[in-house]
Amino acid sequence: MQLNVFRKGFNYSQDGPGHRLVYHLQGCNMACGWCSNPEGLAKGADPDRDPGLFPALAWEVEAMAREARQCLPLFYDGGGVTLTGGEATVQFEAVKMLLRRLKDDGIHTAMETNASHPKLQHLFPLIDYLILDFKHYDDSKHKAATGIGNAGIKENIQKALALHGNLLVRIPLIGGINDSEFDATQFAAWFGRFHTGHAAFEFLPYHEYGRRMWERIGRPYRIENGFVDGQTVAAFAAIFKANGLEVIHT
Amino acid sequence: MDIHSIYTNGEIGQLAQERFQEERRIQRLDGWFLVKEIRRACDLKYRALPSEIRAAETVRDIVVGIPLSISGKAIFAGSQDDAFARSYALINPAFKVSAFTGYCDPTAVFEAIEPDEVFTRARIDALREYEKTLPFIEKLNQAYALAGDSTEEAVFFVEQVTGHLIPDFKPVLAQGVSGLIATLDEQRETSSDRSKRTCYEAMKIALNSVVLLAGRYAACAHEQQASAQGKHKESLILLEATLKWVPNHPARNLYEAIQAFLLLWQVMCLEQAPNPFAFSVGNADRLFEPYRQMRGSSRAASAALFKHFLTFFNVGDRSWAISQNVMVGGKALDGTDLTNPCSHALLDAFFEMNLPQPILSVKLHRNTPVALYQEMGRFFFSPGVLTPSLFNDDSLFKVLAKAGIEPDDLEQYAIAGCQEPLIAGKDNGNTTNSWLNLAKILELTLHDGVSAITGKKLGLDYRALGLEPDQPARILSGIRAAFYRQVEHFVATMARAANEASRAIALWPVPFLSSFMGGLDSGIDLRDSERQGTRYNGSGCLIHGLSIVADSFIAIDRFLEDRPGQSERLLEALKTNFRDDEELRNYLRSCPKFGNNLQPVDLEARTVALRIHGILAGQRNYLGNRFRPDWSTPSTHLLYGYWVGATPDGRQAREMLGYGLDPLFGEAQAGLGFRVLSAANLPYGGMSGGYASHFGVNPQHFRGATLAEKGVEFRSKVVAPLFTRDPQEEPGPFYLYVNVTTPGTLRKVLAQPERYAPSGIYIMRIHGTFVNFLDLSPEIQEDIIKRLDPESTSIP
Repeated sequence: MQLNVFRKGFNYSQDGPGHRLVYHLQGCNMACGWCSNPEGLAKGADPDRDPGLFPALAWEVEAMAREARQCLPLFYDGGGVTLTGGEATVQFEAVKMLLRRLKDDGIHTAMETNASHPKLQHLFPLIDYLILDFKHYDDSKHKAATGIGNAGIKENIQKALALHGNLLVRIPLIGGINDSEFDATQFAAWFGRFHTGHAAFEFLPYHEYGRRMWERIGRPYRIENGFVDGQTVAAFAAIFKANGLEVIHT
Repeated sequence: MDIHSIYTNGEIGQLAQERFQEERRIQRLDGWFLVKEIRRACDLKYRALPSEIRAAETVRDIVVGIPLSISGKAIFAGSQDDAFARSYALINPAFKVSAFTGYCDPTAVFEAIEPDEVFTRARIDALREYEKTLPFIEKLNQAYALAGDSTEEAVFFVEQVTGHLIPDFKPVLAQGVSGLIATLDEQRETSSDRSKRTCYEAMKIALNSVVLLAGRYAACAHEQQASAQGKHKESLILLEATLKWVPNHPARNLYEAIQAFLLLWQVMCLEQAPNPFAFSVGNADRLFEPYRQMRGSSRAASAALFKHFLTFFNVGDRSWAISQNVMVGGKALDGTDLTNPCSHALLDAFFEMNLPQPILSVKLHRNTPVALYQEMGRFFFSPGVLTPSLFNDDSLFKVLAKAGIEPDDLEQYAIAGCQEPLIAGKDNGNTTNSWLNLAKILELTLHDGVSAITGKKLGLDYRALGLEPDQPARILSGIRAAFYRQVEHFVATMARAANEASRAIALWPVPFLSSFMGGLDSGIDLRDSERQGTRYNGSGCLIHGLSIVADSFIAIDRFLEDRPGQSERLLEALKTNFRDDEELRNYLRSCPKFGNNLQPVDLEARTVALRIHGILAGQRNYLGNRFRPDWSTPSTHLLYGYWVGATPDGRQAREMLGYGLDPLFGEAQAGLGFRVLSAANLPYGGMSGGYASHFGVNPQHFRGATLAEKGVEFRSKVVAPLFTRDPQEEPGPFYLYVNVTTPGTLRKVLAQPERYAPSGIYIMRIHGTFVNFLDLSPEIQEDIIKRLDPESTSIP
């Protein structure tokens, strides 16, 4: 079985603990305008693609597992492998197989997902550190911003809060989309309905690291005035903390 | 009386600092010339004697004839200044990369002496002319005649090897010279082999010379007492008494052991003067620890004495004796850590003195105590301070065992020169005997055996290599097989020439050194080219151009696939150094490169290394032993690169080659993690001659609050990823040197040395040796800055 990978690299403590090998998997079922890796959005490999822009390569799961084993001495400070995207669960079966292989080899696993896959729960036992992105508490606004509704996402987040012991929920703060004080209160109120003892929360303020890539792939960059200031981030943190939610910054 | 009852540790350290400053003020080194004049006289005086006896008598006459003095700042007697000339190229500001001549001329050293009223031009010229008539020179010329034109453009190179060994002084410190002579007398009486009896006799004469030297220094110390006062006078009295005891008798404490060692080293270097580079100490911690224990000397007291020990290795204004290696740490065969109190005392002395010489190397293994990494933090993370090179015992033991080293000898490996592993006292590795330039051979193969630099015909032509001259696509598709055939051709010639150079140097026996290299057992001079005097023997071959060749093969594959029908264009572009085809060069540069964890090119590099190991294995040295593959390029990546035309990886003519096993500068962009993964593929098990690799590491990647914490972090982020391997796997990397700095920092040091290096000393590593960065020629300074290559070692 193969996985389409459009980028890989090492990272320290930003996508899971310690020094990690991060695979960016090709394809996404959302279309967020602020995406910083737009080259990973397309699901299939475009035969006419410019390899400089879309260097996706099909990798055998076994080869990736072997590479991860070779990296064992590099996984210091509790590191391991992180799967991200695109959206990792777009290639669900192959991802599941890779995670199982990594677990068999005793490698710490992390996955960052938009939490939309209906069978996400099946992966919980294979993921040591689960990072869930939650873009909007409101279904219609979520759909407007990402192209899909949030019902399934909410369901998966609820399950993860109940069943997964090591969880990070990330909320990208995008100016004009989800950055008001009202938004903060609504996010916190929704999470406050559940047991969040195993979860931490992080806010990712809008950036434009992906803007150039959008331009390179010839697609319009749609976000305007997306930046949020430090006060907004602090206000979100304060409201979450007031609701008993643990806020961290990786 | 004891040195510590005369001076405090602080005073001893201060004297060492002043002794070093005094040494740095020495602008002339003429002793080697006197040594050569004495040698000329001895050639006549002892001409009727067997060569070993003649050599031994010569050592004695040198020791008796050279002028001696003891500095007022010294607590020990001894100096190696008379064994070295001011001539080592890389620390000569006038050095140019283009200066490579393809010939190792032993009489070139005469250019390193400035004529004056004493050493007149006529006196210098007369000695130079005499030396040209020596049988050794004649024999060496035969070696270069065998090499033909090949060395002129650095297709390969050969040289006679002096220095580059690790004497075993343990027995002589324990038994004294008198003990060794008793052994020699016994051997001579019981041996029926006349030539061995001659050798034993030569060793005895040579060994006695160090006792004579001690006697002369003792007389010196005695004389100087008359005008000395107070503590200085007391120290001279102690020194005189000490010199009357060691090295003739066993050392009884650390002070005596160091004193004995220094005189032994001095004679060893005089025997091979001038410029016996890269003699190495081996594990100094293990050598001296028994003597530290005899008096229970503290760490601080031991470190104070070691500061003088280290100062001894610095010669003249630029520390002209280079690549003298001192090791600490390591493991025993059973895995036990062998770090001891002397290891720590030596590290203290190294750090506090921060000298250009000797070189510090640390042996590591899976059970190396955390404390050792904590102590190394101050070296790695203090700007301008020396950094130890790192050896991986877990891997290197396997490599050496595979090469035939007996299990009991493994822990005695040490480094001669930059990074070449040899067994102390038992191994004559002729480490720098031959040098091979794979990139040049690839260039010749691509161009019908003709040099793209000079147009000279140097290699086998297309037809001889099985290629069709008028079929450019087939030339490219058949390049691998043709290249290896061309390598075989040159390696055979190189081996013949290298062996002849070894036979040339054999005309100059070294009975003193042979006494510490197994000669007491074998009765054979270590340089003997007919009979093996050391337990282990081999000849080194320093191999250049791994990444260029691997990257080029992959680029050619891609080119043939992507651009069929354009083969002639590629060959023409290479010939003309891409002068009219920048587009093609850009394409070639964009092809996958070794060092980025890209499988096809990483595996190609592995294949190239394995094939070259195989080709070298087909040759034998002058004693029938192997040539040891050594993938190191001690600044020769610049010198040899200068003679290589454009290559299919997109590299332009005359640009540098990759350093050692490293990716070509600028081509590994994916960070340290992927660079380590690429490196892991290489076949280290066959690299019995060693290899070179360098990481230029940005200190900002380390977050520890203290130097000690950063030292441990360095283990996690650099050492462990590179060195840790499953014990069941084939051996992995076993060597690394680092410079922890940034290009910006070094440019600031050059621009404002008075601000960033107020002492005038800013230590950096260049291949296996330390250098004072400020002493280097501009071209070498630039090489160090370039090769920091920070993208290749970035850590998130």
